[in-house]
Amino acid sequence: MDIKLPKLGEGSESGTVVNILVKEGDTVSSGQTILELENEKAVAPVPATAGGVVAQVRVKVGDKVSVGQVLITLDASAAAAPATLPPASKPAAEQQRALPPQPASPTPAPAPVPATPAVEPAESREMEPLPEGEAPAAAPSIRRMARELGIDLRRVRGSERGGRIVLSDLRAYIENLQRLAFAPRPAAAVAAAAVAAPSVPAAKPAESIDFAKWGPVTRKPLTALRQTIARRMQASWHTVPRVTQFDEADITALNDLRKKFAPAYEKKGTKLTLTPLILKAVAATLKKHPLFNASLDAAANEIVFKDYIHLGLAVDTEQGLLVPVIRDVDKKSLLQLSQDVAELAEKARERKVSLDDMKGGTFTISNQGGIGGAHFTPIINLPEVAILGLGRSALKPVVREDKIVPRLMMPLTLAYDHRLIDGGSAARFTVDLVQALEKFAEAELKLS
Amino acid sequence: MEPIKTQIVVIGAGPGGYAAAFAAADKGYKVILVEKEHRLGGVCLNCGCIPSKAFLNVSHQIEEARESGERGVVFSTPTIDLDKLRAWKNSILDRLAGGIAALAQKRGVQVIYGRAYFEDSTTLRIETNEGQIFIKYDKAIVAVGSKPALPKAFDLGNPRIMTSTEALEIEEIPGDLLIVGGGYIGMELGTVYATLGSKVVVVEAADSILGGADPDLIRPVLRYAEKAFKELRPKTKVAKMSTAGKKIKVTFDGADGAKEELYDRVLISVGRVPNGENIGLENTKVERDEKGFIKVNNRMETADPNICAIGDIAGGVMLAHKAAREARIAIEAIIGEATEFDQIAVPAVVFTNPEVAWCGLTEGEAKAKGIKVEVARFPWSASGRALTFGRTDGLTKLIVDPETERILGVGVVGHNAGELISEGVLAVEMGATVRDLAETVHPHPTLSETFMESAEVFFGEATHVFSKRRIEH
Repeated sequence: MDIKLPKLGEGSESGTVVNILVKEGDTVSSGQTILELENEKAVAPVPATAGGVVAQVRVKVGDKVSVGQVLITLDASAAAAPATLPPASKPAAEQQRALPPQPASPTPAPAPVPATPAVEPAESREMEPLPEGEAPAAAPSIRRMARELGIDLRRVRGSERGGRIVLSDLRAYIENLQRLAFAPRPAAAVAAAAVAAPSVPAAKPAESIDFAKWGPVTRKPLTALRQTIARRMQASWHTVPRVTQFDEADITALNDLRKKFAPAYEKKGTKLTLTPLILKAVAATLKKHPLFNASLDAAANEIVFKDYIHLGLAVDTEQGLLVPVIRDVDKKSLLQLSQDVAELAEKARERKVSLDDMKGGTFTISNQGGIGGAHFTPIINLPEVAILGLGRSALKPVVREDKIVPRLMMPLTLAYDHRLIDGGSAARFTVDLVQALEKFAEAELKLS
Repeated sequence: MEPIKTQIVVIGAGPGGYAAAFAAADKGYKVILVEKEHRLGGVCLNCGCIPSKAFLNVSHQIEEARESGERGVVFSTPTIDLDKLRAWKNSILDRLAGGIAALAQKRGVQVIYGRAYFEDSTTLRIETNEGQIFIKYDKAIVAVGSKPALPKAFDLGNPRIMTSTEALEIEEIPGDLLIVGGGYIGMELGTVYATLGSKVVVVEAADSILGGADPDLIRPVLRYAEKAFKELRPKTKVAKMSTAGKKIKVTFDGADGAKEELYDRVLISVGRVPNGENIGLENTKVERDEKGFIKVNNRMETADPNICAIGDIAGGVMLAHKAAREARIAIEAIIGEATEFDQIAVPAVVFTNPEVAWCGLTEGEAKAKGIKVEVARFPWSASGRALTFGRTDGLTKLIVDPETERILGVGVVGHNAGELISEGVLAVEMGATVRDLAETVHPHPTLSETFMESAEVFFGEATHVFSKRRIEH
C-alpha cells in the first residue's frame, strides 16, 4: 500500500522534502515519522499513516510534495504493524507544533524574520492540479463562478474541511494570479504597492543570468524558509523608511553585576547571561517610550499601542533566521527570563519552536555579540516599528572624569520606522536605553 | 406555406424538453415546443415515473394494511376496482400535463403536437393532424427520449407480452406474471403486481437484481422479494417465447438447464433504447454512437453547431432529473454562458419496498476503480423512528475519502429512502466532510438522523450504536 502525504494542518498542504528518515527495507509503524517537510513556516515531521516494510521510497530530498501525493510504498504482505489510520484530526494539531530546523543556540543573527502572522503566502494556495476527472470539493455556485472566470478549480487550494474550496480561496487564488501577472513592474511601482499592502511579497527575481559563462557554478534551490525570509525582508525594505541610530553603552557595571550574581543563578539551575539583562533594560525603555512598542495601521490611519511587551529574539540557525518571542518581559523576573532564554535555546536545538512561539512580538533584538562585529543596520521586523542591533562588547579606552579608562563598551544600533517615529524620539530612546544598561538596578538581580 | 421562424425549437416535451423550453422562454427567447404524443410530459409523466409511483403508493397501502394486523389494527382484505384505479392514475397525469400546458402558455411557448423531422441543420418539418408545418430555427434541442427495449425474439405482436408502457395501463391482474429483467423497472412493477395479487416470477441474466447498487443496499429488497414474489431467478435467460392459447410459453436457459413454463402475462424490462430513428438526424451533422445515442459534450452540444441534445437521447443515466439539469445547461450553452454538466452526484432511486437510493461514488465503483474509501454504516434497527412504523430493514451509509474525510457517496435503503437521499446529494455536491454531517443538528425523531449517526459511526462515536472499531472497512 502507498503512504500519501496526510493533511498536517493549516499552511501545511505542501512543502519541500528536507529529510527522509526511512529507507527501503525498513520496518515502519503507524505514526512513526518517515520524513520531514519544510514549508514557508516550519519544518514538520510527516508520520506514516500505516505500518509495514518500506518497499519503495517515492520521493527524494528537495522534492516538492502536496497533500495526497505518494511518499513511500509499503510491502503489504510484510505488514509489520496494523494498517490503521491515525485519527485524522489529531495529527494536524500535533504536527503543526513541530518546527524549526537544525539546532542553534540563540546566537545573534543579522536580521530578524518576522514572527508575526502575515498574510498567508499566496503561493501556498496553488497546488499541483488534481488528476483529470477528480472533481474538486466545492459548492456548485463556486464551480460556476470559477468557470465564468476561467479558473481551473483543481489548481485552487481549499481552506475548508476536506479541502473544500470556498469563495475566499477563489479570491485569494485570483489575487495571487494577478500579483504574479503584474510582477515585473518598475521598482517604484513595486515599492508603492508594497507601501499599500506591507506584506505583499514583491516581484519576481530578475531574469536568469548565465553565471557559468565566467566559471563553474553550483545551483541550489532556495529553501522555503529562505524564500520566506527573502520575501519579508523585501517587504520591509520596500515599505519602511528606515533610519538607523548608532550608539555605545558602557556595560562594565552590568557585566560586573552579572558576574556577581551568576553563582546564585547557577544554584537555581540556570546560567545568567547578558541577554536577560538586556531584555529587561529594553523592556524598561519601551515602557517609557510606548511608540517603539507600537504598530502602524496604515489602512485605519491609526497607531496601535500595545500594553504588553513581547520581545523577539533573532536566532541564527543552520537553516536560516528565526525569531521566537519572549512574552511579558516587563513582568518577569530575571530568573524567569534566564530560564525562558535557556528554554528557547533548547527548543531551537530540538526543533520545537512552534508557530505560536514566533507570533505577537512587539520589538525585536538582534544580538551579534556572540559572533563578533560592531555596528550593523538591521531591518525592521514588520509590523513592528523598531529593532535593536547589538554588536560585540569590547574593552575600549574611554574618558571618565577627565581620565582615560578601559571600559567594556557594547555597540548598539536602533533602526526605526520614520513613518511613525521621528529622529528626536529615537535619540531620546537611545539615551534612555544606554542609561538603563549603564545604571542597571542591582535589586532587579536579587533572588527572592 | 411559409416556414415559421423561431430562435429555439425543442423536440420532445418530457422533463428535459419542457424544462429547456421554459428556461429559454424565461431568458426571453422565442421558443417552439414539439411533442409527438397528445399529452405533454413525456415518458416520465405518462408512462414512467409518475404512474408507477401512483401504483406503488397503492401497493404500499395494501402492504401496510396487511402488516397493521401485527400491531392490533386489522383491516379486511382489500378489493380492487381496476377501472377506478386506472382512472385515478389518469386523473393525476391529466392534471400534471394540463399544468405543463398552462405554464407553456403563460410563458408564450408555442406548443405544436406532431412528429418532427429534420430536413437540414436549420429546418424542421412537423407532421401534424392538420398537415405539415416547417420551422426555421436558430437552435434546436433534441429531447426525444427513449423507449422500452423489446428484443425481436419477444416481439410476437401478442398483447400479453408487455413493456412498462402497457404494464402501467393494468388491463388486468394476471394470475402468473413473468418479469424479464430485474432492474428498477422490473422490480418496481413486480412490487405493484405482486401486491395486487399476481404470482410474480422475476428472471435476471446477471448475478443479482438492481445492477449498479451496492449489495448491502439491495439485501432488504431481496428479502422483501423472497416473501412477496413467487420466485426470483438470477443468472437466468429467456431463450424463447411463444403464444400458447391464452398463455405465453416461455423457455428458460438457466443454471440448472432449460425449462418451460406457462404465464398469463410477461413484462419485458430489459432496458431502454433511444428514440433517435426516423427524425431525420442523418440530414444534420449530429453524430450518434453505436447504440444510437446522440454524442454530446458536457455543454450538451452535438457535432452540429445548431443542435443540442439532452436527456435519455444524449446517453448516460436515463433519469428525468438528469435531463432537467441538462436542459438548463443546454440553454446556458446556447446563450453563451460558461456552463457545463459538472454534477458530482446524480441520485438514483428505486421505489421498491423498501426504497433504495444512492448518489455519488458507490462501494462497487470505488473497488472497481481502485479508489481507497472508508464506509460508515448506520443500521436502521438502531433508529427509533424506524421502529415506530415497524420497518427497521434499512441502512444508511457514507462512502468517505479517508484522507480528506470528504463524503464521496451516500447510499440509503429503507422506507422513504428516495426522499432521504437529497441530503446525501447536497453533501456530496457541496464537498461536505463527515464532520460537517456529524455536526449538523438533525430533527428527532426522524430517519434523517441516520445520516448524522452514520457520520458519527465514522468517528466511532455514534450515540445509538456501539462499535469498538472506529471505522468499518
